[in-house]
Amino acid sequence: MYKFNSNTIVFDISASTQNAQTDGPIESMIKHRTERHTERSRSVLFSTTVTIILFISSFTFAQVPAGFKPVKDTTAFKQKMEAQSKLISTLESDFTQEKYLSVMSEKIISKGHFHFKKVNMLRWEYNEPYKYLIAINKDKMFIKDNGKVSKYDINSNKMFKSINEMMVNTVQGNLLNNKDYKAKFYENEKFYMLELSPLQKGAKDFLKVIQLYINKTDYAVDKVKMIEPSDDYTSIDFSNRKTNQPIADEKFIIK
Amino acid sequence: MKNLLLSSFIGLVLSSCSFGLYGRYSEVTQAYSTYPKAIFGDNFNSFLFKTNITVYGKDYSGLLVTKQMSPQDYRVIFTTELGMKLFDFEFKDTAFTLHYCVPQFNKPKLLKVIQKDIEVLLMNNLSSKKTELYRDKEGLLSIHKIEFGPTQNYYFIEKSSQHLIKIEQAKKRRKKTTFTLSNYQADFPGNILIQHHDIKLKIELNLLKK
Repeated sequence: MYKFNSNTIVFDISASTQNAQTDGPIESMIKHRTERHTERSRSVLFSTTVTIILFISSFTFAQVPAGFKPVKDTTAFKQKMEAQSKLISTLESDFTQEKYLSVMSEKIISKGHFHFKKVNMLRWEYNEPYKYLIAINKDKMFIKDNGKVSKYDINSNKMFKSINEMMVNTVQGNLLNNKDYKAKFYENEKFYMLELSPLQKGAKDFLKVIQLYINKTDYAVDKVKMIEPSDDYTSIDFSNRKTNQPIADEKFIIK
Repeated sequence: MKNLLLSSFIGLVLSSCSFGLYGRYSEVTQAYSTYPKAIFGDNFNSFLFKTNITVYGKDYSGLLVTKQMSPQDYRVIFTTELGMKLFDFEFKDTAFTLHYCVPQFNKPKLLKVIQKDIEVLLMNNLSSKKTELYRDKEGLLSIHKIEFGPTQNYYFIEKSSQHLIKIEQAKKRRKKTTFTLSNYQADFPGNILIQHHDIKLKIELNLLKK
């Protein structure tokens, strides 16, 4: 039995889409110019140049998410994240997942709880509005759905392997050193925001970017947002976080 | 003459076979003018289902969302529980658009079957079809027969509740697919089971939110 499921989501910032948006007004302005006499054409040429400059500057500006600015000293940030990650042996938290689909008027909201224990043990459980459980225990993955438990060898399937890496690294805030993603670092008063763009073609087909919101007070991941190429997204907010409380290994074995 | 007798005999056997499948129901009227009420035709609402698709031993589980965009336009999106979009279909009048499909799910035959199953559930454009009305011996059911080219759909409506409880699809006198609708809440089925008889495919939809 093979169960299809993945947490890997995506998008790519398509140059053609950007061109489609910018070329329209510029082209129409150029057409405009040919229909008018020389004196006016100078003025239109000037305004075209201004328009191009405005578009270019707005694109440059648009790359920085609203309300954030780039982190100047990324090395210090990375070192701090890694140091904080080393201090964590167990982690548990409630989570609220929101799925935004542009065609739907309401978001799909699901709630649950997760447990994490070093090394590589994760229990990710949905309680509302449905019961669904994924557990990762080193090289094994369990899925419990409709009361039925399925067990998989993570290494037997590339997709399971990527689910494992994504979930464990996300929970730990450990995606910094993943070579499959290009990382950008931003900050505002409250958060660091780590923006990861997938580099591999397969992932780019369905994931545009992952945004990790890292709380500046304790360097915990407060929110993860995974944006698809269509700009539909899944965001997960974490709350009631507890670190380094004892969690029995049995929690990660599903029967 | 012999050939004519033989053809007539074969014809008789075949026609009684065709009655064999639904022979327990008697015809009330041909060219009936009332059509079964569309399950999802409900003021542009969206519906969320926990969904399991089992095909030849493989399980696909996730959330299926349907949204009526305009009277004859429906969007149907399937995501995993973790939020990854698997497919995004649009059914507008008689046209179908595949807006998105994750490569792992992009198997033309499977997608086509799922598309056709969803089309049956959406009950778009039924009023352009010819319908016949049948009833069972006990008088508990109204059965609408509607032809879609070589395929016939039978819509079973429970008279007491006026709920559509089953759709059976038949082709060449063989039952192809059964859609069972049960656990009605506020005139909407809480559970929909689609069971194919000619291929190993089962789809279960359990309503989470209306």
